[in-house]
Amino acid sequence: MRYRKHATTAALAAVALTLAACSSGGGSSQTPTGGATASGDNDYAGETLTVLVYENDESAMGKAWREAAKIFEEETGATVDYQITSFEDLSDTASQLFVSSDAPDLSEYNKGNGTAGALSTLGVLQNLDGFFESYGWDDKLADSLQTTTKYDENGVMGDGAHYGVPNYGEFVFLYYNADLLAEHGVEVPETLEDFEAALQTFADAGMTPLVTSAQEYPAGQLWYQLVLNDADRSFVDAYQLYDGEVDFAAPPAADGTAKLAEWVEKGYVSRSATGMTAEDAGLAFINGEAPFFYSGSWWYGRFLNDITDFELGIADFPGSTLVPGSSGNLWVVPTVTDELHTQMAAYFIDITMRPEIQAILGNAGGLPVAADPADITDENAQALIELFNEVLDRDGLAFYPDWPTATFYDDLNAGLQGLINGSLTPEQTAEQLQADYDAGTEQFR
Amino acid sequence: MSARTVRTRPPEDLPLIPSGGKKPLAYWLYFIPGILLTLGIVVYPVVYNVWLSFHSWRGGFTIPEFVGLENWGQLMGDSSFWMSFRNIIFMIIAMVIIPTLVGLVLAAILFDVIGRRFSGRLASFLRATFYLPQVIPIAVAGVLFGWVLYPDKTGVLNQFLTWVTGSEVAINWVGGEGRTALFSVMLLMVWVQIGYPVVIFMAALQRVDPELYEAAELDGAGWFRRFHAITRPMIRPEVFVVALTTTIAALKVFGPVFILTQGGPNKATYVPSYYAYIQFFGNGTNKGYAAAIATAVTIVVAVVAVLFLRAQRRAEQKEA
Repeated sequence: MRYRKHATTAALAAVALTLAACSSGGGSSQTPTGGATASGDNDYAGETLTVLVYENDESAMGKAWREAAKIFEEETGATVDYQITSFEDLSDTASQLFVSSDAPDLSEYNKGNGTAGALSTLGVLQNLDGFFESYGWDDKLADSLQTTTKYDENGVMGDGAHYGVPNYGEFVFLYYNADLLAEHGVEVPETLEDFEAALQTFADAGMTPLVTSAQEYPAGQLWYQLVLNDADRSFVDAYQLYDGEVDFAAPPAADGTAKLAEWVEKGYVSRSATGMTAEDAGLAFINGEAPFFYSGSWWYGRFLNDITDFELGIADFPGSTLVPGSSGNLWVVPTVTDELHTQMAAYFIDITMRPEIQAILGNAGGLPVAADPADITDENAQALIELFNEVLDRDGLAFYPDWPTATFYDDLNAGLQGLINGSLTPEQTAEQLQADYDAGTEQFR
Repeated sequence: MSARTVRTRPPEDLPLIPSGGKKPLAYWLYFIPGILLTLGIVVYPVVYNVWLSFHSWRGGFTIPEFVGLENWGQLMGDSSFWMSFRNIIFMIIAMVIIPTLVGLVLAAILFDVIGRRFSGRLASFLRATFYLPQVIPIAVAGVLFGWVLYPDKTGVLNQFLTWVTGSEVAINWVGGEGRTALFSVMLLMVWVQIGYPVVIFMAALQRVDPELYEAAELDGAGWFRRFHAITRPMIRPEVFVVALTTTIAALKVFGPVFILTQGGPNKATYVPSYYAYIQFFGNGTNKGYAAAIATAVTIVVAVVAVLFLRAQRRAEQKEA
């Protein structure tokens, strides 16, 4: 394994060095300011556009993008080589893949400072400002969603050039098993106190009320939500945009950590969450083993499909104003994509923004960013979009907890694993997270 | 070739393997593909990796910046790195010591008891069964062990323990506090590794003259006595080979940790290769640091291999 890795790495690095040597020099972005604009001529007969995504075909995005690929082929005469990978695979290899000869012409990629932001500073992604203007994506995307498309010279979101185009939105909320709630005489909770009372009722009945995974992202998002419940926008700006100090040992971060520890202590969250993947947690909820699951809109379509023996409900996290969420993942165009294929890629992106494609995405349980509301006919889809609009109306999207540094996903998981399995106290967790956070954000402050 | 029975020293001026001197051009032409491949996929990456370990590199189209020994200095004071090396000791227990000892006993039983008392076919079947985990891809083994080690009472291992102890067991194997996660990885590795020594040792035993066993048996030697006096010394070279190859495998172990625990909980199951991987691929901001970790592992593997081979040679010389 190791030798193979070295070989690949070295080969890729060699490519990177060669290319870097050919470019005009300078450590960071080498794309010309403004980026390319649409050529207007969309006849690409005989060409192939390689598109790399990690949404499976059953997801709302997968369904919409497959249709977009079909339309693209019909309108341009080109072929789409539509490839599917996994999120973990791409996030681990993108910085090498996107500079290699195997790079896709167009790819889905994770948004945020540590990911798309970091890649933008490595000169790996094309500046899409020109296309934003020629295709009018600026007008189609709500301002709050454009935060994650723009990155400054340090890779910090919210400012600078557009490096990606989101096709959908996403946020995190509470899924509940309506049958279990009814069975135990529990109302859908609206305040945190109600929620804790509900959790206690189920804990008393011998259940683990809130299923989660600390091996992967769900526990981190739960922790962040508990922090956000005591926070305002200034905390989010400090935490995500480095506009102020972040103290993990003081409120609101310390309160969130303490609350999570308390919930573990009281049995609301199982210590065994540290031995479970996100998939394990989702399956436990699907199997009716827990009344609540706190996670993102990306589960929604699957839950609607897979849950057959109870009624699924969704609600805002009780007592929240701010919730984890943002634009969805981005379409990005690697710098190594040549001019012709860049034009093709931009045209493909534009097709995915069309109302008819956005409607497919919406009706399949996704959160469209440029749909005509009249096109969304599915009742379940409407329920989700309604909830999302409430969040947007109150400017509630607070991004994700792992975004501030490139390694904070692993760092946060590690810290919370320690907290949840009992090997770290809340104070020790705060100390560890603070050290990791400070080390990673030093370069931005 | 008259000297088949007597080993004679070749004349000084006539080496056994022709070397040096003038060679036709064609001779060198045959070397080119091999040299190019070796240079391209072994020498260059290793040299590049060592070179990178003295640089700070963020990846992509950025240019590596020479930082001297900074990465190495940081590495020496990095507690995660040392912990990952400490975990290697547990990997060696699980991948070298236990499988070799158990494999020795299993091979002897299969060969000497089952193979002779029952049937050779049964012994072959059992040998294949022990070897099966080696054939299964580690990703599949990881999924299997995900079920076996599932943290609540529905996990296979927990159910088994519940059945054995009679009271409900719900151990959080992979994510638990303390050593259960490390134990889980070790359990997987023992399961995966056990077949390897069994197969090698059984092959070695084929070499042993069966008359030795029969004679010993007639002299009244029991199974353990035969194992101790015949089996063990006869297959000593294979024990060395198995110990060497599995130790090297343990030093660079990656798959089981990646599949089973992802280094968790709270980095408790980090091993050097996984740590390097996280630093390089997990969006680490300094790929040079990852290269330093990987280079450190390479050095340790090389040193261990040399020490092993030396120990083996010494043991052989002592015997001769």
